[in-house]
Amino acid sequence: MPRFGTSIRIASAVAAAAALAVVVAGTAGATSHTRSNATITGAGSTFVAPLVSQWISPVGGAYGIELQYSAIGSGGGVAAITARTVDFGASDAPLTPDQFSACKGCEQIPWALGATAIMYNLPGVKNLLHMDGPTLAKIFMGQIAKWNDPAIAKLNKGVSLPSTAITIAHRSDNSGTTYNLTDYLSSVSPAWSSQLGRGVAVNWPAGVGAKGSSGVAGVVSSTPGAIGYADVAYSVQSHLKYFALENRSGKFTTPGSRGILSAASSDQKPAADNSLSIVNPPKKYDNAYPISTFTYVIVPLQSSKAADLKHFLFWAVTKGQTSQYTAKLRFVPLPKSVLVVAEKAIAKIHS
Amino acid sequence: MSAADVTATPTRRPFTGRRVRFGDVLLQLVAGAAALGATVLVGLIVWKLVDGSRLALSKYGLGFVTHVAWNPVAGHEVYGAGSFLFGTIVTSFFALLIATPVAIGIALFLTELAPRTIRAPVTALVETLAAVPSVLVGLWGILVLGPVLRTDVEPWLHSALGWIPLFGPPSSSGASVFTAIVVLAIMILPIVSSISRELFLGVPPELKEGALALGTTRWEMVRGVVLPYSRGGVAAALILGLGRAMGEAIAVTQVIGGGVFIHWNLFSTGDTLGSKIASSYQGASTQLQAASLIYLGLVLLVLSLAANVAAQVIVRRVARKHGVTRGGHA
Amino acid sequence: MSAHGLSGPRVRLDRLPRRRRVNATMEALAWLAAAIGVGILGVMVWSIASKGWSALNLDLLTKPPIPFSLTNAPQGLSNAFAGTLVIVALATAMALPVGILVAVYLNEFAPPSIRSSVGLVIDVLAGVPAIVVGIFVFVLLVVGSGQSAIKGAFALAILMLPFVARTTMEVLALVPNSLREASLGLGVAHWRTTLSIVLPRAAGGIVTGTVLAVARVAGETAPLLFTSSIAGTQTSWNPTHALQTIPVAIFELSESPDPKDHARAWAAGFILLLFILLASLTARWLSARRTRI
Repeated sequence: MPRFGTSIRIASAVAAAAALAVVVAGTAGATSHTRSNATITGAGSTFVAPLVSQWISPVGGAYGIELQYSAIGSGGGVAAITARTVDFGASDAPLTPDQFSACKGCEQIPWALGATAIMYNLPGVKNLLHMDGPTLAKIFMGQIAKWNDPAIAKLNKGVSLPSTAITIAHRSDNSGTTYNLTDYLSSVSPAWSSQLGRGVAVNWPAGVGAKGSSGVAGVVSSTPGAIGYADVAYSVQSHLKYFALENRSGKFTTPGSRGILSAASSDQKPAADNSLSIVNPPKKYDNAYPISTFTYVIVPLQSSKAADLKHFLFWAVTKGQTSQYTAKLRFVPLPKSVLVVAEKAIAKIHS
Repeated sequence: MSAADVTATPTRRPFTGRRVRFGDVLLQLVAGAAALGATVLVGLIVWKLVDGSRLALSKYGLGFVTHVAWNPVAGHEVYGAGSFLFGTIVTSFFALLIATPVAIGIALFLTELAPRTIRAPVTALVETLAAVPSVLVGLWGILVLGPVLRTDVEPWLHSALGWIPLFGPPSSSGASVFTAIVVLAIMILPIVSSISRELFLGVPPELKEGALALGTTRWEMVRGVVLPYSRGGVAAALILGLGRAMGEAIAVTQVIGGGVFIHWNLFSTGDTLGSKIASSYQGASTQLQAASLIYLGLVLLVLSLAANVAAQVIVRRVARKHGVTRGGHA
Repeated sequence: MSAHGLSGPRVRLDRLPRRRRVNATMEALAWLAAAIGVGILGVMVWSIASKGWSALNLDLLTKPPIPFSLTNAPQGLSNAFAGTLVIVALATAMALPVGILVAVYLNEFAPPSIRSSVGLVIDVLAGVPAIVVGIFVFVLLVVGSGQSAIKGAFALAILMLPFVARTTMEVLALVPNSLREASLGLGVAHWRTTLSIVLPRAAGGIVTGTVLAVARVAGETAPLLFTSSIAGTQTSWNPTHALQTIPVAIFELSESPDPKDHARAWAAGFILLLFILLASLTARWLSARRTRI
C-alpha cells in the first residue's frame, strides 16, 4: 500500500535526520568557544609550519584572530597566494621576478630563521656522524650507495659503519627546503650545479619522493639506512639523528642556535626584494651551519584583512620569535637589522 | 478528456491522443536539460583539460606524451609524460596480470564449486574489498604491505628470479613499483571477479548440463561452455579493470616512491600519470609546469576513456548477441 | 554415461584418469584463488579493524587536530568528520535531483536512439578517473577564486551522477507500463503521472542507488585534494570555506613519521570503512526487501 510505504519512508528520513543532528551537536561541541570574527588563512612552507602552529593559540588569545595554516609546501604557498585563495603564503625560497609579477603586488617578508638538517636513520651507530658538502652531493646524486663507502668513512674515522644501502628521501612536491638544500649543494659541488641546479624541485636521480617535510621524516624513520632533509624541528620531533656538516672554515657544525646565528651574521642586509642568502657562508663565520636559511611570508600589499594581517605579522616577528616558541624547535630570533626591514615591510600593507 | 482533443505542439508525444499540458512540456524541458547537461559534461571535461594545458600543448605538442623528462629547475625547464605513461602502463598491465587469474578463479569457485553455505559469505567478502576506499588501501600499503614486501618478498623474488631484469635489486624502503602493482591488483580484483561471477551465472544452465551429460569433467565443461560463452563479457571486465587501475592515483602515490626514469626493475621507485598529478597537486611553480600537469591529466583521461568506451562497446555487442542467440547454441 | 564425441567438448573415455586429474588440479586452483581473495581481504580488513579499534577514542570525534604538536595533548579529527558530513550531504543534494531528472528524461521521454547513446555517455562518465574530475573542477572553479566545500561537493556530485542516473533508469524501467497507461487513461497529465505515480513506485530503488553512490564517494580523496584541502583545524560547518575531510586527513596522516598520526589515521579509516560497509549493507537490504514485497 503506497501510503504505508510512504510513512515508512518518512519515518526513516526523520530518524536519519535525528541521527545526523546528534552527530552535528557532538562535533559542534568541539568547536572553539571563543569564536572570533577574523580568520586569517595561510598556506605554504612545511619548513616553518612547526613554528606557525605554535603561534596559533597565542595569536587567537591576543587578538581574537583565528589563524589557519596549511603546510602544503613552499610552491603551493606561492601558488595559493598568487591565486588569492589564502590571505598569506609562506615560502623558504625567495620569489623569482616572474613569480613577483604573477602575484601582482605582493611582497615577501623574512619572518623566521632556521636550518635544514640532513637527518638519517642508521641503527647501531650511536656517534654523531660527520659529513661534508662534496660527499653529500655525491650521496644525493646516487653516486655513493653504501654507508661504509670510503668517502664517508674518511670523515668518520674510528666509527664502524655498516654496509647498509643508502636510501635517499627527497621531496616530491615543490619545496623551499629543497631550494635551500640544492642552493647549498650547488655551491659546494660543481657537478651538482651543472647537472641539477637549484630549485624548489629538481630532477632527483635517485631515491624515494615523499610529500612534505613530514613525509620525508616518515620515510627516514621507517627505512634503516635512509638519509633525508627537512627543517631541524622535524628531526627533533621524530627523534632522528642529523649530520654535523663541515663548513667553509673546516669546522663540523650542527643545526643549533649557535650555528644558525653565526650563519645569519653573514648577510645582515636584505636585498631590495627583502631576500637574504646565508647558505655556505665564507670562512670567517667559523661556527656557521652551512644550510641555514631565512624563510618568508608572502603577503599582498593590498588586502581586505590588512588590519588583522598586520597585527598577526607584527606579533609574529616580535613576540613570536621569543624562546618559548622558537627554542625547542631550533628556530632563532630574527637579527635586529632584519627585524627592522620586516617591520617596515609589514607597515606597507594597506586595505 | 476526449481522444479527439489534440493540441498541435511540436513536442514528442509518446502516447498519442492525449492533451499535452504545460507541465508536460516543462518536465520534458527540465529533464531534457539535465540529460543534455550530463552528456555535455564529458565533453566539457575534455575541453577544460585541453584549455588548461594549452601552454604545454603549444610548446611540446604530441611529443610530450613520449618524452621522458621532468625538470622544474628555472632556466632548464622541460616537461614530458614519457616516464609517467610508462609507469601507468607497467603498473596497470602487471596488476591486471596478477588479478585476472585470481578473479576468474574466484568467480568460477563461487559459481561452480562453492558449497551453498559459504557462497554468500564469500561473495559478500569479495564485494567488501571493493568498498575499501583507495586512501585506506594506500595507508595499509605504506604501513603494512610495503615493509613486508621489502623485507621478505622482494629479496626472495630477487634471489629466485633475479636473472629476469624485472626482478632486480630489491627496494630499500617499502615504496616501489612492485608495491603499487600489488595494491592495484588488490583494488581491481573485486571488479573483475564480480562481473565475471555475474557472467558465469548468466550462462544458460541447459548448456552446462548438456555438456556434463555428455560426460565432460567440470573443468572441461567450464573450458568448453562457460568461458567461451562469457568470453566477450570477461574481456569487457578485464578492460574495465585495466581502466580502473590506470586511473587510480591516491593509493599509487602513497606507495610508489616517485621518480622520472624508465627502469625495468619492478623494485625501483617510479611514478604514474595519476600519482604524479596527485603528488604535485598543491602548487606548480610556473605556468608551464601547471599546464604540463594538466596535460598529464589529459593523457590519462584519453587512456581511461579509450578503455571505458572499448569495454562499453563490447558489453553492448555481447548483450545483443546473447539476446539473439539465447536458447540456441552452435 | 559413455561419451560419443559428437559436437561440443571433446570427451575421450580412454583418457579419463588424466582428465580427472586435470579437473582436480583446476578445482584446487579455483579453491586456491578463493582462498587468496578471502585471505588478502581478511588480512587487510583485519589490519584496519584491529589497528583502528585500538586507536579509537572519543577524542577523535570531539577534538580538533593540533598540527605539529610537541606535547601529548589529546587531539582528534573533529574538523574532518564535520567536513565530510557537509560535503557528502551537499554532493548528494546536487547529484540526486539531476540524476533522477536524467533518468526520467531517458526513460519517459527519449526515443530509443537517444536513450542508448546518452546511456553510453553516462556509462563513460562513470569511468572518468576521480583525479581527472578533480583537475577538471580545479580548472573550472578553483583557479582564481579559491577552494570551498561547495566546489568539493560539486566534484563528488559528478562522480555520483552516473550511479544515481543508472540505478534510477533501471528502477523506472521496472515500473509496469500498465500503471502509466492506467493513469493516463484516467486523464492524468503525463508530468503528474511521472511525478506522482511512477517516481514514488521507484522510490525504493532510487534510495538504494543513492545510498550506494554515497558509499562510493564518501571515501574519495583525489577530487577533494584540488577543491577542499587547504582547510582550518577548527571544526567548521561553513560550506563556503574549504573544509577538511576524512579521506584527505587520512592521506595526509599516512605519510607522517609520527606513530600517533598513524593511529589516528587507522581509527578514522576504520570509522569510514564501517560507514561505507553499513551503507552498502543497507542498500542491499533495502533492495532485497523491495523484491520480496
